Amino acid sequence: MNVTATHPYVAALLAGSAALPKSPAAWLDSRRAAALERANALSVPTTRDEEWRFTDLTPLTKLQVQPVAAAIKVSAADIATHVVPEAAMRLVFVDGVPAPELAQQGALSAGVTVIAMSDALKSHAALVEPHLAKLAGVGQELFTALNTAFLQHGVFIHLSKDAQLKAPIHLLFVAAGNGVAAYPRCLIVAESGAEACVIEDYVALGDEAYLTNAVTEIAVAPNASLRHIKLQRESQKAFHISNCAVTLAKDARFQSHAVTLGARLSRNNLNISQQGEGINVEIDGLALIGGRQTADTHTLVDHAKAHGICRQTHKTIVGGAGHAVFNGKVFVREGAQLTDSSQQSRNLLLSDKARVDTKPQLEIFADDVKCAHGAAVGQLDAEHLFYLKSRGLPEAQARNLLTYAFGAEIIDHIPVPSLVAALEKLVMARTEASL
Amino acid sequence: MSSVLDTLVSQPYKHGFVTDIESETAPKGLNEGIIRMISAKKNEPDWLLEFRLQAYRHWLTMTEPQWPNVNYPKIDFQAISYYAAPKPKKKLSMDEVDPELLKTFEKLGVPMHERAALAGVAVDVIFDSVSVTTTYKEKLAEVGIIFCSITEAVHNHPELVRKYMGSVVPTADNYYAALNSAVFTDGSFCFIPKGVKCPMELSTYFRINTQDSGQFERTLIIAEEGAKVSYLEGCTAPKFDTNQLHAAVVELVALDDADIKYSTVQNWYAGDENGVGGIYNFVTKRGLCKGRNSKISWTQVETGSAITWKYPSCVLLGDNSIGEFYSVALTNHKQQADTGTKMIHIGKNTKSTIISKGISAGYSNNSYRGLVKIGAKAEGARNFSQCDSMLIGAKCGANTFPYIEVQNPTAKVEHEATTSKIGEDQLFYFQSRGIGTEEAVSMIINGFCKDVFQQLPMEFAVEATKLLGLKLEGSVG
Repeated sequence: MNVTATHPYVAALLAGSAALPKSPAAWLDSRRAAALERANALSVPTTRDEEWRFTDLTPLTKLQVQPVAAAIKVSAADIATHVVPEAAMRLVFVDGVPAPELAQQGALSAGVTVIAMSDALKSHAALVEPHLAKLAGVGQELFTALNTAFLQHGVFIHLSKDAQLKAPIHLLFVAAGNGVAAYPRCLIVAESGAEACVIEDYVALGDEAYLTNAVTEIAVAPNASLRHIKLQRESQKAFHISNCAVTLAKDARFQSHAVTLGARLSRNNLNISQQGEGINVEIDGLALIGGRQTADTHTLVDHAKAHGICRQTHKTIVGGAGHAVFNGKVFVREGAQLTDSSQQSRNLLLSDKARVDTKPQLEIFADDVKCAHGAAVGQLDAEHLFYLKSRGLPEAQARNLLTYAFGAEIIDHIPVPSLVAALEKLVMARTEASL
Repeated sequence: MSSVLDTLVSQPYKHGFVTDIESETAPKGLNEGIIRMISAKKNEPDWLLEFRLQAYRHWLTMTEPQWPNVNYPKIDFQAISYYAAPKPKKKLSMDEVDPELLKTFEKLGVPMHERAALAGVAVDVIFDSVSVTTTYKEKLAEVGIIFCSITEAVHNHPELVRKYMGSVVPTADNYYAALNSAVFTDGSFCFIPKGVKCPMELSTYFRINTQDSGQFERTLIIAEEGAKVSYLEGCTAPKFDTNQLHAAVVELVALDDADIKYSTVQNWYAGDENGVGGIYNFVTKRGLCKGRNSKISWTQVETGSAITWKYPSCVLLGDNSIGEFYSVALTNHKQQADTGTKMIHIGKNTKSTIISKGISAGYSNNSYRGLVKIGAKAEGARNFSQCDSMLIGAKCGANTFPYIEVQNPTAKVEHEATTSKIGEDQLFYFQSRGIGTEEAVSMIINGFCKDVFQQLPMEFAVEATKLLGLKLEGSVG
């Protein structure tokens, strides 16, 4: 494993990879080596790359980051505000490194395993091996290659056949240090008939500049159901790049909720591959940004088999000099008849300097399908404002209320009351501070 | 691959046109010498030669675009002959015309006297078209409209050509536009002076003069303050052409309060059922709404060509200017189309409407690719886009790639896209009312395309309707 990258920033990012301890499994060492090889060959994407057309990574390349060996001590009081009382169990990572002292072990139903990746590689290698670094292909994705090259810490969740867990599993990723690169890796495997809800929660304690480069791999077997909630509340100086790869089998159900509030620049990739018939997918997304923030969401729903259903609603609220980007690809392959796929991209611009670039994309190769997408960009409706004002609400309050209602539609779908309450408060505070 | 292209390029004329190759055609290949030769043959002024050479030099530094969603063997640009003097056509009589062609005209309902012209029968033998064109020319000249070939315009109105040519599509705009700027041979020029409303659809004139303007065509239309014109290019009748590559450039300029409507019906040879042969139609069309309250409207019905690659666009520079794009793109067999529009909003209160209907059948691939860009200064800009696809058969593809870029909060942009098919139940319903499958399909398609067809001049709307039915014959049921 040698760093031979010609791109200076890639070489700088990879510099720390030599210090990485050997993994407990030889197969993982070879997958890490292959990823390093790939990362060596890639360079930081520019706006000349179609996939990064609207998102300029130049600010990131000015930030030097390395993974930490031992993270800063974080106390239970520091994360108290981020506790989700409904959760069955909580795992905490500080700057990408497990913090077992902050974890909370709950009573899990039979057949549910939630353990740190480093442990899973030793105790559950047979379950991890078929999926890890296989579901999220590297291809041209520099950041996925980097994450795999640095693969060490993260979470493994396994739901055995028909295992059901009603209460959510809370994975809390805390950023504490400056100049840190965190490469968390999650693998969620749901066997047939299983059901669970996982919260991936990224928070910051201070206002540090760092990089979170997360990869999550999810495999859902026939008839299983998984809900994935991703909250991103990184610091205003942070960079957050994540890739979530989901593979679904026949009659599986997958629901995704993504709420993006933080980071100077964030990029969310969600790739869903429908490998069986009769799959049902729902995707909700909300980005609320202001200042000089950039929030970029890329989704890909690949309908490879017939009778698939997918509903997507993506909303952005952009204030200040914020910049929201959305690209939603929907592929309907030959033979994926009777697919029903719809996608909405709704964008609210609140200030003169706010900017939105949206690109829905439909590629259809089957004739008996129902596909629709819609995209809208606008500001608050003058009539709605007038109506509220006619009821005695001052202008500012009316604006806040409408902005809040626009975002609440996404938040209200999250079935965890304490999260809904926390997010609603946060959104209200952000709109009141007029972003 | 170039040998494949060679054979395609040098296919014999199928429909009885004869060209005297030795004396009229430039040797194959492209270099500065060829460009100088074209310019000299056409007796062009120095500035135009310079324009061509500049474009050529830039073209050399460019690479072919790879992003369109189309596949074709690499084009050998050195295997093309870039200049052919007007082809002396063998005068045919109506009896010698391919009966298939005549049958098609019959089905399309092309007026009798136009059929001959379209079939390549020398018009002057049969009809007194000279007098017809002269009447039109006089009528246009009376109100001050200049309507002639680009070559004539270069000689008679050099100041206008020089001022506007390349002002909308710069020579370095894209690969094919640069190639066209270097080697264009002819095309149309139209100038509508201040306050003049063109008294007729320029289509009428154009149709009777189905001139063979060659594969690198250049069109320039200028509407001065308050002027209005409607222009129709192409025709519904199948157009046979042996040139493999067509790289045309169309530029429209609308000054204050001017209104230009540009309609295209494209039915070039699309290749056979197996995708052999057919035209590559790589066109750059752009309109500049330069003045306040100006309006440019594109309507296109794209049914022909093996590959269509065109994005008629509007640059909405003037305040309150309006851009419109109405398109029907139909692909069958192995045709490929990557078409759409760009609406660039720069001025305040600019408005644009995009209605695109894509129909794919057989093994074809039909993509809509569009850009709506609202600049930071485009206060109150408004866009509505709708792009619908219809798939006929399970082997074809329909794609949409809309790009929406908004930099102004007062803008309102809406985009909708749907995909549908002709359902068994719809056909059954028609049949239960005594309407046969083919007619039913044609009616459903017409309903699907209605929003676009109603933008076409009336007689063409009728023909376009029939054309789609004809194109899809045998693909359903």
